[in-house]
Amino acid sequence: MTPVLPSAALASAARVVRRVLAQPAAAVSVAFLLAITVLAFTAGLLGLDPLEQDMLAMLEGPSAAYPFGTDELGRDILARVIFGARTSLTTAAGAVLLAAAIGVPMGLVAGFFGGWRDVALMRVVDLMLALPGIMLALALIAVLGRSQSAALVAVGLTGVPTFARVARAQVLSLRKRDFVTAVEAFGATSSYSMFRTILPNSWSPILTQMVVLSSVAILLEAALAFLGVGIPPPTPSWGEMLRTGKEYLYDAPTYAVLPGVALTLTILSFDTIGRALSSVLEGRDTAVPQPRAERA
Amino acid sequence: MEGPPQMPNPVLSIRSLNVTFVGSGADIPAVRGIDLDVHENEVLGIVGESGSGKSVTALAAAGLLPRTARITGSVLLGGRQVVGATADDLRRMRGQDVGVVFQDPSTTLNPLMPVGDQVTEGEVAHGRLARADAGVRAVDLLREVDIADPDNRARQYPHEFSGGMRQRAVIAMAMAGRPRLIVADEPTTALDVTVQAQVLALLARRQAETGAAVVLITHDLGVVAEVAHRVAVMYGGRIVETGSVRDIFARPRHPYTAALLRSAPRIDVTAGRLDPIPGQPPTPTDLPAGCTFHPRCPLHAGRTRCTTEDPALRPMGPGQAAACHFAEEMGARDPLSPGPSPRGEGRPVAAASLPPPGGRDSERGSPPPLLVVDDLKVHFPIRAGLLRRVVRTVRAVDGVSLSLAPGETLGLVGESGCGKTTTGRAIMGLIRSTGGRILFDGKPVHGLSRKGLRPVRRAMQYVFQDPFSSLNPMLSVGDAIAEPLRIHGLYDAAGGATWIATLLDMVGLSPSVAHRMPREFSGGQKQRIGIARALALKPRLLILDEPVSALDVSIQAQIVNLLQDLQKDLGLAYLFIAHDLSVVKHISDRVAVMYLGRIVEEGPKADLYGRPVHPYTQALLSAVPAVDVDPAAKRRRIVLEGEIPNPSAPPPGCHFHPRCFRADGRCGVEVPAFRPYGDGATRTACHHAGPLTVPLTPAPETLGASP
Amino acid sequence: MIGFVTWRLAQLVPVLLVASALIFFMMYAVPGGPVAALVGENATQEQIAAVTEQFGLNRPVAVQYVDWLLRALTGDLGQSLHSREPVLKLIGERLPATLQLAAVATLIGLLVGVPLALASALSQGSWLDRALSGWSALALGVPTFWVGILLILLFAVELKLLPAASAYVPVWQDPWQMIRNAILPAGTLGLYVSGIFARFLRGSLITEFNADYVRTARSKGLKEGTVVARHVLRNAMLPFVTIVGIMLAGFIGGAVVTEAVFTYPGLGRLVIQAIGSRDYPLVQGCILVILAIYILINLLVDVLYVYIDPRIDYG
Repeated sequence: MTPVLPSAALASAARVVRRVLAQPAAAVSVAFLLAITVLAFTAGLLGLDPLEQDMLAMLEGPSAAYPFGTDELGRDILARVIFGARTSLTTAAGAVLLAAAIGVPMGLVAGFFGGWRDVALMRVVDLMLALPGIMLALALIAVLGRSQSAALVAVGLTGVPTFARVARAQVLSLRKRDFVTAVEAFGATSSYSMFRTILPNSWSPILTQMVVLSSVAILLEAALAFLGVGIPPPTPSWGEMLRTGKEYLYDAPTYAVLPGVALTLTILSFDTIGRALSSVLEGRDTAVPQPRAERA
Repeated sequence: MEGPPQMPNPVLSIRSLNVTFVGSGADIPAVRGIDLDVHENEVLGIVGESGSGKSVTALAAAGLLPRTARITGSVLLGGRQVVGATADDLRRMRGQDVGVVFQDPSTTLNPLMPVGDQVTEGEVAHGRLARADAGVRAVDLLREVDIADPDNRARQYPHEFSGGMRQRAVIAMAMAGRPRLIVADEPTTALDVTVQAQVLALLARRQAETGAAVVLITHDLGVVAEVAHRVAVMYGGRIVETGSVRDIFARPRHPYTAALLRSAPRIDVTAGRLDPIPGQPPTPTDLPAGCTFHPRCPLHAGRTRCTTEDPALRPMGPGQAAACHFAEEMGARDPLSPGPSPRGEGRPVAAASLPPPGGRDSERGSPPPLLVVDDLKVHFPIRAGLLRRVVRTVRAVDGVSLSLAPGETLGLVGESGCGKTTTGRAIMGLIRSTGGRILFDGKPVHGLSRKGLRPVRRAMQYVFQDPFSSLNPMLSVGDAIAEPLRIHGLYDAAGGATWIATLLDMVGLSPSVAHRMPREFSGGQKQRIGIARALALKPRLLILDEPVSALDVSIQAQIVNLLQDLQKDLGLAYLFIAHDLSVVKHISDRVAVMYLGRIVEEGPKADLYGRPVHPYTQALLSAVPAVDVDPAAKRRRIVLEGEIPNPSAPPPGCHFHPRCFRADGRCGVEVPAFRPYGDGATRTACHHAGPLTVPLTPAPETLGASP
Repeated sequence: MIGFVTWRLAQLVPVLLVASALIFFMMYAVPGGPVAALVGENATQEQIAAVTEQFGLNRPVAVQYVDWLLRALTGDLGQSLHSREPVLKLIGERLPATLQLAAVATLIGLLVGVPLALASALSQGSWLDRALSGWSALALGVPTFWVGILLILLFAVELKLLPAASAYVPVWQDPWQMIRNAILPAGTLGLYVSGIFARFLRGSLITEFNADYVRTARSKGLKEGTVVARHVLRNAMLPFVTIVGIMLAGFIGGAVVTEAVFTYPGLGRLVIQAIGSRDYPLVQGCILVILAIYILINLLVDVLYVYIDPRIDYG
C-alpha cells in the first residue's frame, strides 16, 4: 500500500522549499552552500591542486597567482580551502546520517514501548549528554585512533543523543494524538503504528535537526582538526589549516583568517537554513538552540 | 420584561465598530459595524458561533485588542473614548472602569504568584490600595466569592486551586476595583456543569451586589437564557438580532436566531429530530456577498436582494431589532416548531422520526446483548520514589457494569474525570483493564493482546472527539478511510475505491473529495470523515467519544442527525460518551450516569431524565442551563457544593457523599450497591435513592431577577 | 528537600561507576593498550615485559578495574603514567583555572545575552529584532577558535595590548592581571554563549508574552513595565535557568578548544595532553571529575527551582 500519496508528499515538499527560499537569509545560505559544494567537487577540473608545493613562494600573502596566499609548504591556500570544503561537507554529511541512523530508531523504540527499554536507552543518552560533545569526541578518537573515518564516527556519535531525544519526544507527543490511537483501534500491529503512522509524521523535526546538526558536525570536525586529532594531513581540512595558520600569525596573518571565513560562512548557512526550516515546519519563530551543541 | 429602565448614559456604548486584523496575508474583517449599549445593572449576552466576532467585540470593549487590530468607530466606556486612547488612558480604564473574566481559568492566572497578590495587584497599581493593606484586602475579596478558608488560600498559588476556585478568584480579581463594566468571555465554558452552576450563581450575586453592567460572551444559549437581560446574536462579524431575552427566545425575528434555537438539542423538550442549519458558519476571510447568512438561510429562496445587499439592523418591535430584509416573513412562529425546511438537508423532517426506543426489546423479545461489561476496573498506578514503588492508585474506572443490545444506543454521561472515556477505551482494548469482564457478542475480549483483538476490532469501532487530531495529516481522505481495510487486508475484498465512494456518500460527502487532504476540511466535515472511516469495516458497535463536543452548535445537529440515520440504516449499536446531557438525551435509548469511576444511575431515557432517583443525577440535571425563558417553568436548582474529588483519593463509602444533600453516616462508610430501583428498569447505587420531592435549596438569583 | 538532595547525590554513584567501567574497558581495548603508551614504539620485549609486570598489566582487565575501583574509593585515582604524579593532584591544579574561566565567561554571556533577548522580544518583528537575532546567530555560529585567533591577531599581534597566551591568575591574587589574562578567552566563550542565551531567552519571552495570564495582567491596568518585570520575565526565566546551568557545566571540560587557542592551563588542555600521551589514568580521572561536576551543577539547578517555581516540591 502507499501510506503517503507520492504526489501529495512531493507537493508538500515543494511547498516547504518555496517557503524556506522565501526567507532572504535562507535563500542566500542555500545559494552559498550550493556554490561551495559544486566548487568543491569540480575544483580538480579547474586545475586547482591542494597538494602542489611551490618552494619559491612560502607563506606569501594574497597575490594574483595565489589569491589567498600560500602556506608554509608553498601550497595554494585557496585550493586548500576549496578542497577543505569537500572534506568538511562529506564528513558532516556522513556523521549526521550516522547519528540519525542510530538515534532515531533508539528514540522510536524507547518512546513507543516505554518501560525498561525506555529506561535503558535513555540512561545511555543521559550519560552521553553528561560529557561535553568535544570531550566525548576526543575520548572516542583516543580509542579509535586518528583517521578520517574515526573523525566521522566520533562526530556522528555525539549527535546520537539529539536524534534519540527528538524522536522519542515525537513519539510521546504523537501517541497522544487520536489518529495514532485510531490506527490501534483498527487493529494495526505495533510496527505498523511505529513505522507507518508515527515515523512519517515525524519527518519535519528530524529533518530540521539534521540541518541544524550539520552545522554542529562541521564545527566539531574542524575543532578536532584544530586540536590536532582530526583527519590526518595531508588531506586539506579547515580546522587543520587554522591550527597551522595560528603558528604563523606574525608572518602570514591571512593564513589563519581566510579558512576561518569559509568555515564560519558554512556553519552560519546551515544554522540559518535550520532555523528557516523550523519556522516553516513547526511554525516556531525561534529555533531553540540545542544546549547539546557545545562548540567549545 | 423590558430589563432595567433605560438610562440616558449607558456604561458602554459602541457605535459603528469595525475591527480588522492586518497581518502578512489578507486582512481579516472580524467585526463589521456594530452598535450596542449596556447600562448599569444590566446583563447583555452576546451569542454566536466560532468566527462570529463575539470575543473580538468583548476585547475591543476592554481595549485589549492586539496591535495587529485596526479599529474604527467609537467605543465609549463611562463616557470616555476607548478607540484611539493612549496606552496610559487605556491602562487607567482597565481595572477601574472595566474588569475582565476570561475563559480558561487554568491559564489566566500567573503560576508563579500567590493568588492573593494577583487579586489585589490592580488596585495597588492604580494607587487605590496601600501595599501594606493588600493582604487583608485579598482575604476579603476571596471571601466575597465564597472561597473557603480565604486566609490561607490568599497565600497559595494557582496550582493549589481547583478549576472552579480559580475562576472564582478571577471573578474576585475582575471585580476588585468595583468597575462599572464586567466583560466575561465564555466564563464557564471550561468548567463542568455542576461547577458552572456555582460560578454563574456567583457572578449573578456579585453583579447584583455591585450593580455593574455585564457583557457576557457565550456560545451556550442556555447560559444566556439563564443569566442575561438582553441578547445580541452575532453572525459573520455583525449583530443580526438584538432584543430582550424573552422576545428573542419566544419570537426570533432573524432566520439565523430561529435556526440556532431549533438546531440545539434541548434538555427540557423531547423532539424527534434536530433541525440543523445546513452548511458551515462563514470564515471572516471568505464572507459571502450581501447578507452573510444567505447561503444557509431558508428565507433567501433565490432572492437577489439577499445576495447583493447586506441588511441593516432595523427595529422589529419594542426593544427588538433584526438585520434581515424579510424579517416580517418570520412571523410569530414558535421557534421550536420546525421552520421551513432548510435547503440542502436531504431528508424531510417528518420521515425522520425514529422508532420509539423503549419498544425495541419487547418487539424483538430481548435479543442477546451485543456488549456486556461486568464490574470493569481500570486502575492506574502512580509510582514515585527510589524504587518506583506504587504510592497511589488512580481508580479511573472502579466497577462499571453495563450492557448494550444490537441496534441500541446507550448514553454514558458524567463530568470530567468521571472515567467515561477510560471506560470506552478499555472496552475498545486501547487501555488494559485491571479487572472485570468485557464480553462482545458473547465472547470475552478483556486482556487480549493487540493481535488477539484484531478480529474483535473489525466489529467494534471508535469515533474520536477531536476531528482535528483524529485524522492522520499525511493521508488523503480516501486513504484515511481505506486504512482500516488495508490493515486487515480487506481493501479489495470490500470493493476498493467503490466502497470508499459509497462510505463518503453515506456520511454526506461527495466521493470526489477522496484525493484531498484533511487540512482542507472543516471540523464538521472531518468528523464525517472520521465516521466514514469507522464504518469501513462494517462494524456492529460504534463507541462514540464526545463526537460532537468540539463542533459549533449548528454543526452538532448535522452530525447527530447523521448518526441517527446511519443507526437506522445499518442497525448499529452506539455507546455514546458525552458530558452534554441535552445531546445524550436526544440520541440515547438508555442512559448511564458516572461519577468518580462508578455508575450511579442507569435507566431508560424517559425515566432517567423524567424521574431521576440518584441525588447526583438530580443535581446534574438541574444544573444544566436550559433554553427556557418562561418564568413559570423556571426549574428549582440544586447547586452542589465543592468540586469533583481527585480520583486518586476518592472519598470512602459512597464517592458522592461529601457533596450529597441526602448523605448520612452510613454513606461515608458503606459503598452502596448498584441494584435495581423499585420495579422499573432503573438501576442505581444509592442508600437513599428516590425521586426529588422537596427542592432543597431555592433557585439562585439569576442575574436578571426575572419578573 | 534534604532527602531529595541526598537521593540525587546517591545517583552520582552508579553513573560514575558505569562511566568509569566504560572508560576503563575502552582504554584497554586500544591496540597496544597502555603498555605501548608507557614504553614507546621501539621498546624491546624485555622492556615490555618489565613494564607489564611493574604495573600489573598482565592481570585480567576486570581484576585491574576492581583494583582501581577499590583504590578510587579511598580517594586515590592513580598516578599519571607520564609525570608519575597523583592524578587528583594534577586535576586539582587545573580545576580552579577552569572554574574561573567558566564563571567569567558565563557572566559575560549573561551580561550581553539577557539585554539582547529583552530588546529583541520587546520589539518582536521589527528591524531591531531582526538585527539582534542576526547578531545572536553570528555569535553562536562563529567557531570560537577562529574568534580567538582574530582576537589574538588584533589585541596581541597588532595592538600589543594583551598577552597572546593567557596565564591563570586567581582573581583574589591580582584582579587586574586576572582581567588582562582572562578577558580574551572568557570574552571568546562569553560571546558565543551570549548568542545561545539571547536566542533561547527571546523564544521563551515571546512564548510568555502571548500567555493568557499576561493578558489578565494587562486587563488589570498594570503598567507595561510591571507586566514585563513581574509576570513575563519571571516565567520566562524558568526554562532559562536550566540552559544557563547546562552551558556553565559545558564549559568545564568543554572549553578545550578555547583553552588550546590561548594556551590557557585549564582542565581541557590537561585532557588533550593526556590523550596525546596515552596517559590513561589521567584521562579517566579527568572525565570522571567532569561528569561529577556536570551532575552537581544540574543538582544545583534543580534545587534552585524549588525557590523560583512554587509548583515544584521535592517533598
